[in-house]
Amino acid sequence: MEKKKSLAIIIAIVLIVIIVLALAGGSFKKIAQPSVTLNILSGSENRVLEPILQKFEDENNIKVNMTYEGSVDIMQELQNGASAYDAVFPANSIWISMGDTNLKVKHQESITTTPVVFGIKKSVAEKLGFVGKDVTTKDILEKIKSKELSFMMTSATQSNSGATAYLGFIYALLNNPEVITTDDLDNETLKTDLTTILSGVNRSSGSSDWLKDLFLQSDYDAMVNYESVIIDTNKELVSQGKEPLYVIYPKDGLGIADSPLGYIDNGDSTKEEAFLKLQEYLTSDEVKPELLNLGRRTAFAINFENNNKDVFNPDWGIDTQKVLNVMKMPSADVIQKALNMYQTELRKPSLTVYCLDYSGSMYGDGVESLRNAMSMLLDQQKASEYMLQASPKDVTIVIPFDSNVLDVWKAEGNDSTQLANLQKEIDNFEPQGGTNIYAPLLTAMDEISKYNVNDYTTSIILMSDGQSNAGSIKQVEDKWNSSNLDIPIFSITFGNSDDTQLQELADFSKARVFDGKENLEKAFKEAKGYN
Amino acid sequence: MKSKIIGGLILIVVIIAIIVFQFLNSNKPEQITVSGYLGGEKVGLMEDEEVKKILKDKYGLTVEYTKAGSIEMIEQDSSDKDYLFPSSQTALELFNQTKSDKLYKSEIVFNSPIVIYTWKPIAEALIQNGIVEQKDNSYYIADTTKLINLVIDKKKWSDIGVNDLYGYVTIQSTDPNKSNSGNMFAGLVANILNNQTVVDSSTVDKILPQLKDFFGKIGYMEHSSGDLFEQYLKTGMGAKPMIAGYENQMIEFAIENPNDWNAVKDQVAVLYPEPTVWSSHPLIALNEKGAKLIEAMQDPEIQKIAWTKHGFRTGVNGTINTNVEGFYGIPQNINAVIQMPNPDTMQKIMDGIK
Repeated sequence: MEKKKSLAIIIAIVLIVIIVLALAGGSFKKIAQPSVTLNILSGSENRVLEPILQKFEDENNIKVNMTYEGSVDIMQELQNGASAYDAVFPANSIWISMGDTNLKVKHQESITTTPVVFGIKKSVAEKLGFVGKDVTTKDILEKIKSKELSFMMTSATQSNSGATAYLGFIYALLNNPEVITTDDLDNETLKTDLTTILSGVNRSSGSSDWLKDLFLQSDYDAMVNYESVIIDTNKELVSQGKEPLYVIYPKDGLGIADSPLGYIDNGDSTKEEAFLKLQEYLTSDEVKPELLNLGRRTAFAINFENNNKDVFNPDWGIDTQKVLNVMKMPSADVIQKALNMYQTELRKPSLTVYCLDYSGSMYGDGVESLRNAMSMLLDQQKASEYMLQASPKDVTIVIPFDSNVLDVWKAEGNDSTQLANLQKEIDNFEPQGGTNIYAPLLTAMDEISKYNVNDYTTSIILMSDGQSNAGSIKQVEDKWNSSNLDIPIFSITFGNSDDTQLQELADFSKARVFDGKENLEKAFKEAKGYN
Repeated sequence: MKSKIIGGLILIVVIIAIIVFQFLNSNKPEQITVSGYLGGEKVGLMEDEEVKKILKDKYGLTVEYTKAGSIEMIEQDSSDKDYLFPSSQTALELFNQTKSDKLYKSEIVFNSPIVIYTWKPIAEALIQNGIVEQKDNSYYIADTTKLINLVIDKKKWSDIGVNDLYGYVTIQSTDPNKSNSGNMFAGLVANILNNQTVVDSSTVDKILPQLKDFFGKIGYMEHSSGDLFEQYLKTGMGAKPMIAGYENQMIEFAIENPNDWNAVKDQVAVLYPEPTVWSSHPLIALNEKGAKLIEAMQDPEIQKIAWTKHGFRTGVNGTINTNVEGFYGIPQNINAVIQMPNPDTMQKIMDGIK
């Protein structure tokens, strides 16, 4: 009896506790922090922040997912609503300003600043008389025009540093007007000058970060990049016992990457809270020294007393007290027109050979994805959305393969009928047979040698979904070396592709491997962005 | 027996718990969420924890917002919004002209004058050139016409003695067609070009070519006053030598970031144009919920926070009695004020600059 009673009392107490808790439920704070994921659409220059972000993730139980895209892509994604992302982190606030037509971005704050500068080998800079005095963009362009200086820059339509440099060139070539107008862009002398200058860009890149890697593998005099990336490059050059780059801040100004981090409001307050935490962390006094160590500036008004001379090394021409003149960004329609001109008229034409895997395993969904991805580049309407249109001088070659080379299809220029015919071939061809990734590369090199490669930004883009069970890399490498053409062999992984085989190709040809396993279209887009 | 007592006690505890809970609940106002478009310069105020608490505890309001330019928000579809909180009389008047059927109630809750933010070396050069005067720690643009003419006459920085800067003198603002500070600045410049008298429909055509020229020199124009001000502070004198903004922006920045303020306070300069224009901040309610927000924003406590922490002047003439800690050079009164052109004339100005 007593037992029953006490049992009843216990039950009663438990019930009461439950009722009270239920009533008061709203006013109790949840003790356990829910795990939140922040999907951030970011410029590739922020890849170096990953260790810093990792620390934040560990301390706060918040997952940070970075997706790296070019500036123009980020702008486009924002225009389309960017509903898959919680935050945006481009190199320059202008891409948010031009992209955020849906007014979804808030809490925008600059995390770091870094100017876009010229980095020139010190011995070359000295020879050209650029050390210890004010230099204008025009002075530098004269030396590029007269072939006294070879340089690298990223694609203006894919990357912020490239776009900034390109607009800076236009100002300089127009003799620094107060602001560029759309009419100015029709100036024929300007176009000729720009074409000459851009023809000197021997290797291009879709991202500032990768331009550094490419620079380290090659032998150029100079590159246009962020001060922070030049610092990074110099650290590596010095450790390899090579000559560091000397930084030139053009007197007439280039641009400043103000790296704004903004929240994309999709109406989820938990994410907003997590975002604000991240933003506070990145601008905190704890993190600032780490950002400085990466060569990013964190001071207000961009100038600061330099207590970090290993990083902001004055021997490299770095000056943290100098007033940094910045060119005025022209209005949005001028920027748009200038970028379009770059893509379809002024840039060095590209000669691109696509080697496409039509082996049996591609049958069905695989080949369907491939066709869609190719149509994004060949259909000029679609390509223009990503600023990847062909120019009248571009050459596009497609080589389908299985265990053998199956055919060679070609389109010269940007004629939409020709490009559509190419797409038709791609659509009508059905996969079968085994895989030999090396055979089409040999054919590709033969095709390329029919052109004067110096007139083109040349590349091979190999897409494969399997392991090569025939042919040998040795043969490809020998031919590559003997042809002396410096052609990057980019690869796109898909399905069960053997990434080691593809990486080997990328390594010796100074290229890179793009992951198409999750998103084939994106991988093709990225690869094409390098040309 | 024992168990009966315990049972009774439990019952009493439950009853008391329920009563206390009910009481606590009934003392709290009904909680509602209001959403609307907010001018970027007021984000700091609406995100202020103290303000949020007063709104919630005293008025039962949780305020959600989408940041938008003052003019932009009038043009946007606002059918799912409860309020619009632009920063100009012009925006309100535009609203009355185009969407008067949507107006539930409106009230001007804050004021802030338009100022020019620049840097010490430039302010000094402007003093040397007889354009700026320094009185009681404040900088006044005594000869506003001369300043505007520096831009129109294509003077270079070196012409006025600022040798560190390259290129031409410009004053940047936000896009007058998108954002209010730029819009008000356009109204002010138009008045200055019209011999410092308010432009109207009979005089606007005469000054329009010069005004277009003036704004054409800016190049890319930001859409939000907050973003432009951020860039001014972060990218420095070579990037943003002079910008038009609201007085409250620097005050708010100084209070919210005392360390950062210490780092820049000797470098920046705030110039008060004579005359300037008032940016009034009308809160436009689109329904009953929005009207509740108007009531709340006029709460004396909120108005006090608005000035002391965010720099919005609140009285009729915007006279200030309390100092902002650590901040000097704020005039107590803004005496030289010129009216904004009327909405029709402003529309002409905006179309002209487009």
